[in-house]
Order: sequence, then structure tokens, then C-alpha cells
Amino acid sequence: MVDYAQKAGSEDSFDVVIVGSGAAGSVIAAQAARAGKRTLLLEAGPARQLSDLASSQLWARKLKWAGAPVGEEGNLRIGHVFNAGWGSGGSALHHYAVWPRLHENDFKVKSQYGRGMDWPLEYRDLRPYYDRIQAEVGLSGDARAEKWRPPGDDYPMAPLPVFAQGRVIGKGFAALGMATAPIPLAVNSTPYKGRKACLYDGWCDAGCPIGALANPLVTYLAWALEAGAELRNNATVTRVLHDSSGRKATGVEYCDAAGNRHRVNAGTVVLAAFAVQNARLLLASASDRYPRGLANSNDLVGRFLMTHPAHYIYGLFAEETQPHLGPTGGQLISHDRYLDKAKGQAYGSYQWIIATAAKPNDLLGMANTRPDIYGPALDPFMRRAAKHFGNMVFVGEDLPLEENRITLGAAKDEYGVPLAKTVHNVTAPTDALCEQALAEGKAVFKAAGADEPWNGPRFGMHIFGGTVMGADPKTSVTDAFGRCHELDNLYVAGPGVFPGSGAVNPTFTIHALALRTAERLLG
Amino acid sequence: MERDRRQFLKTSGIVLSIAVAGDVLLLSPASAHAAGLPYQVLSADEVSTLEALAEALVPGAREAGVAQYIDKQLAAAPRDNLLMLKYLGVSPGDFTGFYRGGLSAAGQLAKLRFDRPWSSLDTSQASILLADMAADQAKDWNGPPASFFHFVIRSDACDVVYGTEAGFGRIDIPYMAHIEPPRAW
Repeated sequence: MVDYAQKAGSEDSFDVVIVGSGAAGSVIAAQAARAGKRTLLLEAGPARQLSDLASSQLWARKLKWAGAPVGEEGNLRIGHVFNAGWGSGGSALHHYAVWPRLHENDFKVKSQYGRGMDWPLEYRDLRPYYDRIQAEVGLSGDARAEKWRPPGDDYPMAPLPVFAQGRVIGKGFAALGMATAPIPLAVNSTPYKGRKACLYDGWCDAGCPIGALANPLVTYLAWALEAGAELRNNATVTRVLHDSSGRKATGVEYCDAAGNRHRVNAGTVVLAAFAVQNARLLLASASDRYPRGLANSNDLVGRFLMTHPAHYIYGLFAEETQPHLGPTGGQLISHDRYLDKAKGQAYGSYQWIIATAAKPNDLLGMANTRPDIYGPALDPFMRRAAKHFGNMVFVGEDLPLEENRITLGAAKDEYGVPLAKTVHNVTAPTDALCEQALAEGKAVFKAAGADEPWNGPRFGMHIFGGTVMGADPKTSVTDAFGRCHELDNLYVAGPGVFPGSGAVNPTFTIHALALRTAERLLG
Repeated sequence: MERDRRQFLKTSGIVLSIAVAGDVLLLSPASAHAAGLPYQVLSADEVSTLEALAEALVPGAREAGVAQYIDKQLAAAPRDNLLMLKYLGVSPGDFTGFYRGGLSAAGQLAKLRFDRPWSSLDTSQASILLADMAADQAKDWNGPPASFFHFVIRSDACDVVYGTEAGFGRIDIPYMAHIEPPRAW
């Protein structure tokens, strides 16, 4: 039995130690620091400042995951490098700020549809946290236009303007009798609490240096530091420590950039290092008491890994679309296919995110939508696309499957921690959902006037699961507040605790859940 | 004076930041080529194949500095790498092997099919090889999957031709930077 407990009151003792400085970790750090708790954030990546956020698709790649490699297998790989972040603010630093709420029917899918898992809470439990977060951060949108929106306070700001691309594609939805609404965005349409308004230049995914987009550098991470929290960058946590009883986490070990190993004692430990790394860290913290990995007596740590299946629809229109303008996240949204998850052979909700700002290059850029065009034909295509391109993305619900999981491999990183391996497959109901949506998306584009719409390959957008929450300790890793069933003061925050993916972008829900977790752990 | 020179280089195309004998030079790709500055990772043969292949995929790639771009990224620390390949399931530690393997296979393909290097292929010959690579029909291909290598080199070439302020201007898209990148890459 290993007992790493150290003397209380040593220099490196904190009330709350949080692993990861992204959306979830920053919310909890801000609340803890405001409550007067000695709070430490340990961030594996480098320090980031707003002045680092150069407007370039190439330079933006520095913001994506650059830590220990993650192995990926399956018919829908999770795309860890693209989806995860690297440095202060985590993936929320480069996120697109599309902030819809989960719907009421996302929380009881097992009870209502016989699929997946029920959440241990309901929408009404989370609603007050959504409302408080949106008031504090500031959201732009039109609640009344979102006819599908669950109950909630009106947005504090008017929606962002819809540019030509959104107007053109919106006509296609209207022609098919489908509704659209301005996307609820964590982007300021007007100055808000000292932060500037958006300039609509489409550089959101390179990081927003003016603070119009609510990334952690201008919201909860900044507020945490103002309230006295400490942030240590280039600090890779290698192990979570516990006492001899196994019921209490005592702190963490981490390595600094020079490879020096440190130990920090903690009254409470929060893992907020994103879905894959949280599970990896628990598995790598195996001990005599927890031979399968910390908090993993039921062998569920790492399981129920999910990612939203996604497809882009593309088209060229007769009208000029100004595709470079507006937020990267898009201009319009449609949830007409969200409320009924039972769709014949298909299962799941889905949404359309419409008219995302497009750049010429990069993975999602205009050039790579048609990899079959090259040589002398490429430049004419690019010149036409620059003026007439339109796009939208289908975001579908994934099913939590036990066999989709994160495990440890034999290879280790530079600090001696085994690397994570992931496997993620979608099954027939999800596959059918994607095919239904693709047909609908192309019909919308044809109705909007696109001459020959085409679609991109299926890819994984967002990452969930691996440490799912639930009411029953036999079938979940944490309780409804993210506290591990097996350790009284070890919490997990972020999308890893989601027992279902829903079909909306997760960052708003991550914030709301983290606020709820913070209030519970602070008593 | 120095500011004027930097401004000229910026507005005239791509700026490379190249370390030579402890000093950092700002050069355009053409200037770097003319100065005969050594590549840090790629061999002369690899550069020749890469430039010809990328130029056939994306006209303008050679002049835009595709070989310098890839060479510079391969020489950088993995965590500072800007290559799009990082999104595509290849670990940065394997990047050099990926490019070397693909360029070697492409060079062999040209030799087997037309008995000449890529740099000596005419337009129609290059088109035939590119089509075979895209369809994974390249005979005796011995490297990373041919269609994947084709996609990656095309993407890299698009990065340097269309992904900079000059590249945006080439197709009349206003760049509208909040913060200009310190250099093109």
C-alpha cells in the first residue's frame, strides 16, 4: 500500500488543485479562488497571452494538442489533436463559441428511447447554471427565434448579423419548410462587461485577441487569477495520489518543463484535462488499492468514449456569399431535427450549423473541400469559391458504447506515463442518422441554389465520455456533481463526465456543469 | 532602413526567417534559393522532387516556398510544428519519415514510369502520376498511402500559396488580421 500523504502546511499545499486550465478548470478555479480557497491550476501546455493569437490558420495550429500522442482506431476516430487544446485556456482558447443548450430530451434517453444512458440530473437542474453563466460571460442570440429552445433566460445581447452566406443558405431551409435562427454565440455583438464587440473577420479559431469571443483568457481563467489562483504552465501531472484508506486524494505529482518531479498536496483534486487525458491520468494512477486505476474498481474509467459524427455540406452559389465574413462558428442554426430522436432505422438528434466563416486553406478551408481538384484547375476553383462558396455542418448525436474506450498502451511519454490509446466506432443507427442528414443537407443546398452541392468526409467533432457521471456507482465513474464515487474529494470536470453526447456543441454545458461542481465541492 | 526592407519582403510575398551562423536572416524564398542556403532536413533530391510534385498539384507552390516551409517545420521541435499533418493521425516524431518515405516513393514512381525525375516530367506525365497517386493506383508504390501523401502535399502547397496574406490577396480575399503573424510561418 502506498501512502503519499505529506505533512499539512508545507509550502506546496493548496485547498484545491485543478489539472487543466481550459473551460471547466477555469470555472472551478475562479469559484474556488473567489471563495478564498488557495487554488492551483496545473497546465501541461505553455502560457498563452492574447497577444499570441496571430490571425493565421498556420499559426493557429500551435493552439492544438501537442502533448503526449494519443493513438486512435475505429471507423470514426476522435480527432484528438484537432479537438483538444495546448496551453492556457485549453481547447476553449480555439473553440468557435457556438453555445446552444442541451435539450430536455437529452437527459433521459434510456428512459425515453431505450438507448444510451440517462443522466443523473435533468435539464431543470442545469438550467439555473446555464442562465448564470450566460449572464456572466455574455451570449448573443435570439431566444424567440429558436423555437426549439428549452426554457431559459433571454440572451443578454442581440444576435450577431447574418451575412450573405447565411442569407443565401437560409433560403434553402425556408424553401423546405425548416426553421433557422441566429446561432447563440459566446461572442459579443455589442461591448459587454469591458470586452469589445466582434469585428466579424472570421479568425475565431486562431484565437480571438480582442476578447470579443469568450475564451478563458478573458473570462474565467482571468477571473481566477484576479481572485488569487495560481497557474503553473508546462506542468504535466503524472499521477493522482491518495491516502492509505483509498477514500481520499491527497494531491498530485507533476513534472515541470525541465523534467523535475514535484508533489503538491491538495484538500480537493479536480481533473479538468479534457476527456482523454482525465481517463489516462486515472488509469495511470493505479495503486495497490486501485490496481485497475484510480476510481476504477468497476472497470468503467475510459469507457463510453464519444464524439459527434459530423459532415460538412458545400456548394457554390450564383450570388456572392462573402464566405470569409462572420464568426468561424457560423451564422445560423437549425434544430428542427432535434426533438424527436427516433427516426426509423436511424437514432439521434442532430443540428445544422450554417454558414461558418471559411478561409482558403487548412483542414476545413475551401481548398481542402475539393481535394480532387489540383493542377491548373485549382486556381479557377479557388477564385470562384472566394466569392461564391457556402457551407454548413451536420452535428449528430453519438451513442455511448462500452466498447468505445480509452486504454493505456505499452509506450510511455517523456515522463514515464503510458500513452493513451482510443478506439471509437459508430454503429448502424448512428450511421443511418448521418446518411439521412447528408441527403437533407444536399436538398437544402439545392433549394438554396447551389449548382452541385457536395459533402466532406465524416469526422469526429468534440470528445466526450471516459469518466461518465451517473446515479449508480456500479455503472458510472462519478456522481451527478463529478465527484468520483470511490474518492470523497476527487472530482472530474469537462465533457468526459457527459453520459450522453446530445448533438450540441458542449462548451456551454461544460461551463454550467463546472459551476455546479464548484458549488458542491466548495460546500 | 531595416523596417523598409522588412516591409518590402512582406509585401513582395513570403518572408522566411532563416538562422545562419547564429544570425537570423529575413529572406524571400527566391532569395533563399538564390543564396544557396542549405536545407536543414531535406536532401537536394528530396527538395527537387517535393518542389516539382507540389508545383504540379498547386501552381505557384515552388515560388511560394513550399520546400522551405516543410523543411523548416521538420527542423522545428515537434511541439512547434505548424504542418497540417498533425491533424491527420501522424505523430510529429514521425513527420520526417513520412515525408522522406513519400518523396522516395514518388521519385521511384517517376523513374519506373518515365525513367526520369519529377523535375524533368512534362505536364502530361506529371498529371498521369498524380492521377495514379490520387486513386491509389500507383504501381509498386512503397511509401505512406499514395492518396494520403497526395492530399498532404497538396494541403501543404495550399498553405503556402493561399494561406498567407499574399495568398489571400491572390484570390481577392481581404486578410483582415487582428494581429499579423510574426512571419508567414
